[in-house]
Amino acid sequence: MTALAMPKIDQLVLDDKEKIVRDLKKYTNSINIISDPDGITPYETDAFTAYRKKPMVVVLPENTTEVSDILKYCYKNNIKVVPRGSGTGLSGGALPLADCVLLGLSKFNQILEIDFENRCVVTQPGVTNLSLTKAVEHKGFYYAPDPSSQITCSIGGNIAENSGGVHSLKYGTTTNNVLGVEVVLMDGTIVRFGGKKLESEGYDLLGLITGSEGLLGVVTEVTVKILKKPQSVKALLLGFQSIEDTGQCVSEIISGGIIPAGMEIMDKPLLKATDDYAKAGYPRDVEAILIVELDGTESEVNILIKKVEEIAKKNNSSYLRISKNDEERLRFWLGRKAAFPAIGDLSPDYLCMDGTIPRKKLAEVLKEITKLSIKHNLRVANCFHAGDGNLHPLIMFDSNNKSEFKRAEKFGTDILKYCVKVGGVLTGEHGVGIEKRDLMCEMFNNEDIQQQLNIKKAFDEKSLLNPGKVYPILHRCAEGGKMHIHKGETKFKDIPRF
Amino acid sequence: MAEIYSPSSENEVVDFIKNSNSLQFPIEISGNNSKPIGRLIQCSKSLQFKNFSGIVEYLPEELYIKVKSGTSLALIEAELDKKNQELAFEPSDMGFLYSGKSNKGSVGGAVSCNLSGSRRFRAGALRDHILGFCGVNGKGEIIKSGGTVVKNVTGYDVSKLITGSYGTLVALTEIVLKVQPKNEESQTLLINNINLKMALNIFSKAMHTSVEISGACFYPAKVSKFFKLNDLDTNTSITAIRLEGPKISVTERVNILKKLFHEYKKTISVLENYQSRIFWQNTTDLQFFNNSKNVVVKIVLPPLNTDQLMNNFENEELKYVVDWAGNLIWIELAENDSVLLKHLRTEILKLSGHMTIIKAPNHVRIREDFLTTVDENIKVLSLKIKESFDPKKILNPGKMYSGI
Repeated sequence: MTALAMPKIDQLVLDDKEKIVRDLKKYTNSINIISDPDGITPYETDAFTAYRKKPMVVVLPENTTEVSDILKYCYKNNIKVVPRGSGTGLSGGALPLADCVLLGLSKFNQILEIDFENRCVVTQPGVTNLSLTKAVEHKGFYYAPDPSSQITCSIGGNIAENSGGVHSLKYGTTTNNVLGVEVVLMDGTIVRFGGKKLESEGYDLLGLITGSEGLLGVVTEVTVKILKKPQSVKALLLGFQSIEDTGQCVSEIISGGIIPAGMEIMDKPLLKATDDYAKAGYPRDVEAILIVELDGTESEVNILIKKVEEIAKKNNSSYLRISKNDEERLRFWLGRKAAFPAIGDLSPDYLCMDGTIPRKKLAEVLKEITKLSIKHNLRVANCFHAGDGNLHPLIMFDSNNKSEFKRAEKFGTDILKYCVKVGGVLTGEHGVGIEKRDLMCEMFNNEDIQQQLNIKKAFDEKSLLNPGKVYPILHRCAEGGKMHIHKGETKFKDIPRF
Repeated sequence: MAEIYSPSSENEVVDFIKNSNSLQFPIEISGNNSKPIGRLIQCSKSLQFKNFSGIVEYLPEELYIKVKSGTSLALIEAELDKKNQELAFEPSDMGFLYSGKSNKGSVGGAVSCNLSGSRRFRAGALRDHILGFCGVNGKGEIIKSGGTVVKNVTGYDVSKLITGSYGTLVALTEIVLKVQPKNEESQTLLINNINLKMALNIFSKAMHTSVEISGACFYPAKVSKFFKLNDLDTNTSITAIRLEGPKISVTERVNILKKLFHEYKKTISVLENYQSRIFWQNTTDLQFFNNSKNVVVKIVLPPLNTDQLMNNFENEELKYVVDWAGNLIWIELAENDSVLLKHLRTEILKLSGHMTIIKAPNHVRIREDFLTTVDENIKVLSLKIKESFDPKKILNPGKMYSGI
């Protein structure tokens, strides 16, 4: 594990642990408080497992009043709080701190209201993403954002990360599909942003809290809009002999006025791995495959399929199959959805990166990744949400070999820096967390980051809620990179730093 | 009369704001000064962006356009049209409401007011289409957020916070907007002579099918008369549902809806492409309240509560139009009727909605609250956010709330 600067541990808080645990029992049932070493172990990390830290205590409140009371208590006593949904985050956003109260929202697991007339669902944040669709699909409705972890990820976590999925080009990410939230601020104040109506007045606090990675407030209730399922969905499976042709095909589909429901590219290493794993029936003699999914009315989909077919042929596709039925369409996706376990079969560990790039830069970026793969002597496979430019290189390594993990991290850093260089961003949907925190200065300068820190202060002036995440600490942007901390001491203590 | 300053570069904006900040001079910010919206504020200096205009970068295949904040929306739309693209949130031309003639104003002004047209319930609001921005905060610091890509969670989504902040947080200098392909065909299914309750039921029924409607509005008989379209019967109320997409698909979907609403077959008609586009342009541009001398308010509430609200005011014979499939009501009120305005505000809050005064004579703008927000916690939080951008409160002070 690389040394990671985290907020200074408050020894006074740690010394008071027993009293704090006792006090917390005033605010929630004592079975909701876990402080024994074995009990807290499952909470030491989220899905970014490279970093682990046991929290001081875990609290699993059951309602908004309890959350408010607990936060009020922590605020008064200067105790840090790390909120956690299902723990499926890939950037370490729910990594505990040694002196924190880890606030788990797993008991907020009820759908509160299904309102078909207003076309929305009111839910507690611990409900899983997929459960929302399951709850409304009997009437032909669904909840649009579909991150690949949708079986287990919670809707509260989706709000924190502004989760997307394969359909976000056409249907948007979480921020475009959430109507309202109830939020508890760090000082215990309960506020509501939005509701069942399409928009609110005043500052767009709903837009701000979505994607804020648990730094501004704890979400205790969510209202999302639901959509009617399209009448018809079909997909094309296309194969190309070069990444350039694949990328050009994507560009021409978009500039041809078509917005597909989903559009995914897998490179040769990944399509081979996923096909071996899931037996999806992908062509093996191509450099890349492109899955294009189109939805709408039957006739509309047929027109669009024809247009995409023409564009693919013009761009030298060497393989083309159109789904004849839903079963075949789902088989096209089978391999793509098995990308992670398939790579897990090839390598003991992997890092999943998450940059977004302009679509037309795909070939250039993939070439650079190949170069970096040779430089760092590590294998890599790539999948790409081509519709929205979100690239997920999967860097393979063995965590038993310390130098490999360091190389993998450096490889990932180099990829993300390149994404920014070509006009992209550090993270499309996984969040910054601790993983990309020290790369923020690649995208933002001191003023940009200081402004965002000032927004944080407006919500949480003591910086007690999920501190140490998203924004670099202890060093100014100009210095860049990770900082070596020796015995918890920093040089030049008097210089203002963040 | 305020002293008007029209910078032509970002550095000039920085210098102007830095200077105003050090002297604590409040500044009124506007784009092209086309929309007298928000609380009436008095500043000795006015910062306008009519000289800060131009398209910085437009990449049709990447679906974005980057522009300077003073660029006119009309210019942007003309440029997008060349590539058969558009802004899917349908920006309103508020010129008709404010001055009786077209004046789309600047993109910076549109972003600051977050006003979206009839397609809003399907395509999202302007706030859903902003990808990034650059601006100058109250301390004179250039700050940026977002980028040019649609999927981006790098840091807080400050672009959304800026959108609809009425120039109280930053003076916008550059904006990146998502663009979309234009729809090949637009057709509108019309049902004449039904009441609001029936219209809302029709919207709901249509939304419970897979036909993907992209417009749904209701004009009572006394408002519908302003239309000048050959195929439109304006003697009765008009319930309109828009369908867009490839022509064959639109025709197919119109037929599905015709069957679904066969009980109204005697009063059903269809506006073809050309007239359909004019109908929705007129609706989005609020031409039904052309150059109104009264008070015009925008009400947003859950669609199920729309009928109840209008029922409560049945005796008032209000002039109104319902849009966004029942989520939005535009109402025109007499300028001196502050009792009715207050009553309306109270009832809207009871029905989980909010009301914004979009146009009013100056003496009403001084007298009445611009927004309905009553939640003190939200006000406190909003004030802290304002201070995080503009600690001396010099940018459009009081434009949204008193003290913010």
